[in-house]
Amino acid sequence: MNTAFQRLQHDQRAELLADWLQHLTTTFDRHHAHPSSLDIQREVLFNAILATLAGVPSDDFRLDPESELGRHLSRLIAEQARQLANPADSIGSLLALKSILARALIALDAESPVIDELLWLDRVFDGLSLFAFKSFVDIRERLIAEQSLSLLELSTPVLRVWHQVLLLPLVGVIDTQRARQVTERLLESIAQYEARVTILDLTGVPVLDTSVAQHLMKTIDAARLLGTRIVMTGISPEGAQTLTKLGIRFADVISRATLRAGIAEALLIVGRRIAPLNEERPA
Amino acid sequence: MKPERTPPPSDAALAELAAAGVRVLISSEPDIMAASRQARLLAERLGFSRSAAYHVATATSELANNLLTHAGGGRLSANLLDERFGSGRLGLELLAEDEGPGIADPALALTEGYSTGRGLGCGLPGVKRLMDDFSLEPRPGGGTRVWAVKWR
Repeated sequence: MNTAFQRLQHDQRAELLADWLQHLTTTFDRHHAHPSSLDIQREVLFNAILATLAGVPSDDFRLDPESELGRHLSRLIAEQARQLANPADSIGSLLALKSILARALIALDAESPVIDELLWLDRVFDGLSLFAFKSFVDIRERLIAEQSLSLLELSTPVLRVWHQVLLLPLVGVIDTQRARQVTERLLESIAQYEARVTILDLTGVPVLDTSVAQHLMKTIDAARLLGTRIVMTGISPEGAQTLTKLGIRFADVISRATLRAGIAEALLIVGRRIAPLNEERPA
Repeated sequence: MKPERTPPPSDAALAELAAAGVRVLISSEPDIMAASRQARLLAERLGFSRSAAYHVATATSELANNLLTHAGGGRLSANLLDERFGSGRLGLELLAEDEGPGIADPALALTEGYSTGRGLGCGLPGVKRLMDDFSLEPRPGGGTRVWAVKWR
């Protein structure tokens, strides 16, 4: 004798699938274009879920990520997470299938109660929802970590202003990781370009405190050992006041209020200056 | 040139700010930045001058840094102090509390250049100078409590 789920799988598969897809299209896909590959993926997932339900019920259903169903579900979720879909939609689409199946189950056999089948359905979908939720969060977290890494890459350029003159514009928060990366990049560039002057522009640093100052001092010390002089620019009036109140002193560092003055100073050190084209030459 | 004083916020705005204090649990480096940013925002909304708001932001990040390095984490809060009906002043209060080992010698901790960690030793004395009122005391249940106020 066939179980209720086997009968559903055998007799009503196509209708139930059409029902579910129809429901998803009207509820979740309204706002964005709906790639046809999605329907195929959903059908594959649907078949896998039905196959699991038609199998032998267990008291403790936990979805194995390596099983066929696990792989289909995580592939679908991965795609949705990458497209920055709402996690509630992903889980909601699973729960929609659950309610369709529950209704079909009850309609199947009005005579005998289907409590055991309903409980099994519940356990399976609990497991699926937990699994979907976890994979969704995992993928988003990985995305965020990747993005912050690329942001870190972006945010520490060392620019060559002129022969032997480097510019390091610091923008944003300087924490331990950032400071380490800035130092590393700067030292590499100093060695590569044999820089004699490095301009450290702090215009974009929101708050100067002792830990930022400490990071900067270490960077400056290391840079000095490679034979470059440091010109610091862009400390705001508030920043300057705060640093003195904190009692922080940057010994032996040339400081200029603006990047413009800093570049002029740096060029002076390497024996250059910026002059107008039509300047009269001395006779 | 004296910086222009902005007018104090309206009563309604103050009521809103009083309810919206800053409370940050410090357990990692990004929390420090978040606390500092939020405290600065609060100071700006209270109408502090640019430099006073900067002082508050720096003091907050010093205190939060201390929580993390010396106590392994703690709570930092920033609140509006409304004394318009007493001394007639408006202030911003910073409170840093931890359940760490406590400070063995508070006087020494406030000494310039003294540090038990790897710091520069100017954090706490710096906070004292950046803010107007300051106190450092052991918490009843263990740990340390630092309180500092900047008046508008």
